[in-house]
Amino acid sequence: MIASLFDPSFAESISRMTVPILLAALGGAICQRAGVFNIALEGFIIIGAFMAVLGSYFFGSASVGLFCAMAGGVFMALLFAEFHLRRAGDPIIVSIALNLIGFGLSTYLLRAILGVSGVFQHDGIKKISNIHIPLIESLPYVGKLLSGQSLLFYFSIIAVLFCHAFYAKHRLGLWMRAAGENASGLTSLGVSPKRMQFFALTVCGVLCGLAGAQLSISNVGLFVENMSAGRGWIAVVAVLVSGGRPLPLLGLVFLFGGVDSMSLRVQGFGWPQQFTEILPYLASLLALIIVSYKRLRKDWATKGIKIT
Amino acid sequence: MRKLSIKRISLHATGWLISFLWVGLASAVLLFLADADFINSLHAFFKSAFGGRKFAYLLSTISRAALIIGMAMSALIAFRGGFFNIGGEGQLVVGGLASATAALYFGIMGPLGIIVACLTGMAAGAVWAVLAGAMRIWLGVPILVGTLLLNYPARFIASYFVNHPLRDIASGMPQTHLIDKSMWLPLIPGTRLDTGFILILGAFVLVLIYCHRTVAGYQARMTGYSINFAAAAGLPIHQISLRTLAISGSIAGLVGAIAVLGLHHRFVDGMLVQPLYAWTGIVTALLVNLLPWAIVPAGLFFAALHSGAAGMERIADVPKEIAVILQGIIILFVASSKTADIRQNGPAKEKSE
Amino acid sequence: MHENRVDLFGISVSFGNVCALDNVSLGFRDGEIQALVGENGAGKSTIMAVLFGLITDYQGEIVVNGKASAWRSPKDAIKSKIGMVHQHFMLQDSMTVLENIILCNEPLNYFGFVDFKTARHQVRSLLKEYKLSLDLDQLIEDLAVGQLQLVEILNLLYRNSTVLILDEPTAVLTPVERDQLFSALKRFKEDGKTVILITHKIDEVFSIADRVSVMRSGKLISSSTLAETNRDTVRSQIIGKARHKSSKRTKSQPTTPVLLLDEVIVPGLSRDERPLSVNVKKGEIVGIAGVSGNGQAALVEAVVGLRQTTSGAIFIKGKDVTRRSVEERRRIGMSYIPEDRQKTGLAISGDIIENSAISNIQDPYFSSGFFLRRQNMMSHAEKLITSFDIKVASPKHLAKTMSGGNKQKLVVARELSLKTPLIIVENPTWGVDIGASSFIHRQILSMRDAGHAILLVSSELDEILELSDRIFVMFEGQLSKELPISGATRAELGKLMLAKNSTSFGPVGEVL
Repeated sequence: MIASLFDPSFAESISRMTVPILLAALGGAICQRAGVFNIALEGFIIIGAFMAVLGSYFFGSASVGLFCAMAGGVFMALLFAEFHLRRAGDPIIVSIALNLIGFGLSTYLLRAILGVSGVFQHDGIKKISNIHIPLIESLPYVGKLLSGQSLLFYFSIIAVLFCHAFYAKHRLGLWMRAAGENASGLTSLGVSPKRMQFFALTVCGVLCGLAGAQLSISNVGLFVENMSAGRGWIAVVAVLVSGGRPLPLLGLVFLFGGVDSMSLRVQGFGWPQQFTEILPYLASLLALIIVSYKRLRKDWATKGIKIT
Repeated sequence: MRKLSIKRISLHATGWLISFLWVGLASAVLLFLADADFINSLHAFFKSAFGGRKFAYLLSTISRAALIIGMAMSALIAFRGGFFNIGGEGQLVVGGLASATAALYFGIMGPLGIIVACLTGMAAGAVWAVLAGAMRIWLGVPILVGTLLLNYPARFIASYFVNHPLRDIASGMPQTHLIDKSMWLPLIPGTRLDTGFILILGAFVLVLIYCHRTVAGYQARMTGYSINFAAAAGLPIHQISLRTLAISGSIAGLVGAIAVLGLHHRFVDGMLVQPLYAWTGIVTALLVNLLPWAIVPAGLFFAALHSGAAGMERIADVPKEIAVILQGIIILFVASSKTADIRQNGPAKEKSE
Repeated sequence: MHENRVDLFGISVSFGNVCALDNVSLGFRDGEIQALVGENGAGKSTIMAVLFGLITDYQGEIVVNGKASAWRSPKDAIKSKIGMVHQHFMLQDSMTVLENIILCNEPLNYFGFVDFKTARHQVRSLLKEYKLSLDLDQLIEDLAVGQLQLVEILNLLYRNSTVLILDEPTAVLTPVERDQLFSALKRFKEDGKTVILITHKIDEVFSIADRVSVMRSGKLISSSTLAETNRDTVRSQIIGKARHKSSKRTKSQPTTPVLLLDEVIVPGLSRDERPLSVNVKKGEIVGIAGVSGNGQAALVEAVVGLRQTTSGAIFIKGKDVTRRSVEERRRIGMSYIPEDRQKTGLAISGDIIENSAISNIQDPYFSSGFFLRRQNMMSHAEKLITSFDIKVASPKHLAKTMSGGNKQKLVVARELSLKTPLIIVENPTWGVDIGASSFIHRQILSMRDAGHAILLVSSELDEILELSDRIFVMFEGQLSKELPISGATRAELGKLMLAKNSTSFGPVGEVL
């Protein structure tokens, strides 16, 4: 039973769900910690995915694809920063707008530049190479899982760990936490919180761009309209549930990924596809409910139950 | 309160003018990327938004506007009550599915059947919205994420039903059977426009009365301004919250029912999701800054934008998603204009006293 | 002639059409504590905001160490070794004391990582130098208010600030904590630092300052050493015209209890959850004093019906309302003037009409069936505006356009117009100018004389002493014994308000 967890479907769900969601959620968490409520992750990812395919196709190189994906994500982040940080627009409304723009722009450019609608698949799209680690590869069960994954899998894990250390020990990490927690306190110490938030947004753009690249040019090498399919929202839930802390975020995203791999498997039992596709969303909703309820109970315990 | 000086008005006007210039510039860049003939595209846009033989396109713009205005009302009522309900899509889908089911299987025909189907759709939409409200009140789930996450189950459930138990297998498509002709919304005589928009206008009048003239609307608005204020004043805020969401959801359900009974005459997988009715409705409500009467012109504007874009796709080969992009850009500018006071539940923004 | 550390020459600031500062010149010397006094809105905080670089749009000149300086942001002021402790603490709750002290001035290792070892060492020697004690690894959210202030001050000292600005530092302190703060300030002075103390309490000025500057409505009225002036002069300079004497109080004739709290336990109020009992009779004002944050808010919420109690019973007019909602309690005969007018007292985005009828909208005067009677709502709002002299052009204006004092008047007017037997009043004059505040006090007293029962919760001792007939003091979720107004003195109340084991500003202990 346990062994079956490590079958190929798990590896597939890692690349299809876990890594994109982890990268995007890390970006969202960095924004959250710096005090930017960014729920435009969905829009960031889809632009990243499209730009990755575009770059990889035109230049015949996966690295250019990765670079374009990051540039696309940063472009969205700059829009967010311009309208939220500089023009003081409400972050939720800005997010809604950017999600629409992300969906619209990727679909529009798919037809306008690549001349197809729906799906773009071409041999010219170079994919990110997978990395094989000799020693780990030969381990039972986990070997297949920890080796032979896409470059971005390893990058995302390292990024999470680095982020953890960064918040605890690095000067900018402290400043970014302060920007999110008591921004006027940071201002009074002579550091501009907006600058920290801009930095956070830019990093988020890079990470979401990479999340998109993982979707489109890591295993499959194609772009589909609306291919982010709600992953950005699952990432938002992961950010909310983990409170933006990197390590819990890591665990949570792997949990969601695990549920997705189960859903891939139960399709084999003849369950209708709609019921299995829904599982990751239900899992994230459930996690959100559990954590929200815990917070509510804690509130009741410390502040008393409010009758309303 | 300071008087409006000419300087302030002109400042305001320049602000808007600059926004318009940006939108225009973005459109030009997009058209250039699509390698489209500029004049031809513009011509196609206006013709398909307002023209056509016997104004056929204008009528289809109106029919689209009805659905958008409906979704905008749904969003607006929730926003005014302090609930950032962005789950209109889910409420719309369950409403449409429920009304199609009622029309197909309840065995009631004719005008009574229409009423029953509409009411079933409204009830389903209300339940879906209240679900998010209950999660907020008793489980602490934020309304924003709660409503949004419920979109996906709604989508998948609807998709399952039209692919499996309710499927019209003979048609070969993921869709239900055609509903009985006696339950199609009648057309306006001499045109191909269905009466759905009249239903929506009726709902609009009720919404105006609700917002401005009723105790319930007043209490909901006060709760939206500040939930602490409402609680301290002794308003039953849970009841008001659930009522607000129920009204919001039921309007979304009604829109679903109108799309089924008037437009498609069956439920087709994705028919309510792909045209982005719900998101356009939300965007419309945001554009008018919660001013109820203004959603009619704003809804017509966005409907024209979408119809025009569809026409540009047919005639000038410009992808119709240009409408979605422009919609997003417009909302970016609206969000950052100083008049936007849309999310009142946020921290009170006031200069220190 | 003395060289001043900092000089402000002819500073003027205006917000829109309002002139907040009018040609103010001030000088600050090393080794001197200068008190800046004045009423709310006199411009004290504004001029300090200019000095600290928070306001950059001003006329005039700032001279530091003899050099003309212009700040673009607090960053520039900080570089010139000016530091400020704000009225609202600017600390990071989820960080440790050490992290807060070194924030934005961290000693670094490699690649921008923080050298916590050096930092800890430096902070410890600072603590030793000024004979202070503090646990560096505690989280800010676990500290008491007095310690928070110490952390703020240490942050300034860590940056080697030579000019320390403290904005109303004693507002949240108990008397003991205040004394400890003052002795620390004296040590800073002896060390040659320039201390600027913003306050509106004259007693504090005369117990610690060397020099006092008085401000009134944006102008500097006087600046002199303590020897050159006296309390009465300063007091009259602050107020300008003669202070309105509060109306002569008649002796109260309390009869039947209107509010009765019987052994009530409010969860989250205190650690050991001791029950509270209070009663308020017809025609009297019962005052609950105490430094804010000692559970007054929870007690009020429990009485009003916003918070559940776990045991005991609450009676209003003899009816058991323990399990009743706010609405039911209000219907039985309660009204409530909350402390936070921005979020609880008013819907500031709504207009004044909407704000005037909220608690009794079901009244047939305001509504018939489902529909509002908007004419009546309008005339009710107009009535409130005239009877309370609220300064606003029309009831159709939004509540947020009014000044703080007028907002508070609107809340008080609305609740008192209900004429309920029981009135719950929570810090009714917090942040309100002197005119509005004495007006509100008169209204509350006249309600008492008209036979209403009033529960007054306030952290302003003067207000408690002026209005109450009986007094309780609240400390850490518990109520003191009852004090009749005749026997209550400031000293006695102060003793009851004091924290038991506050060592924040005490002499250096074994902790180090």
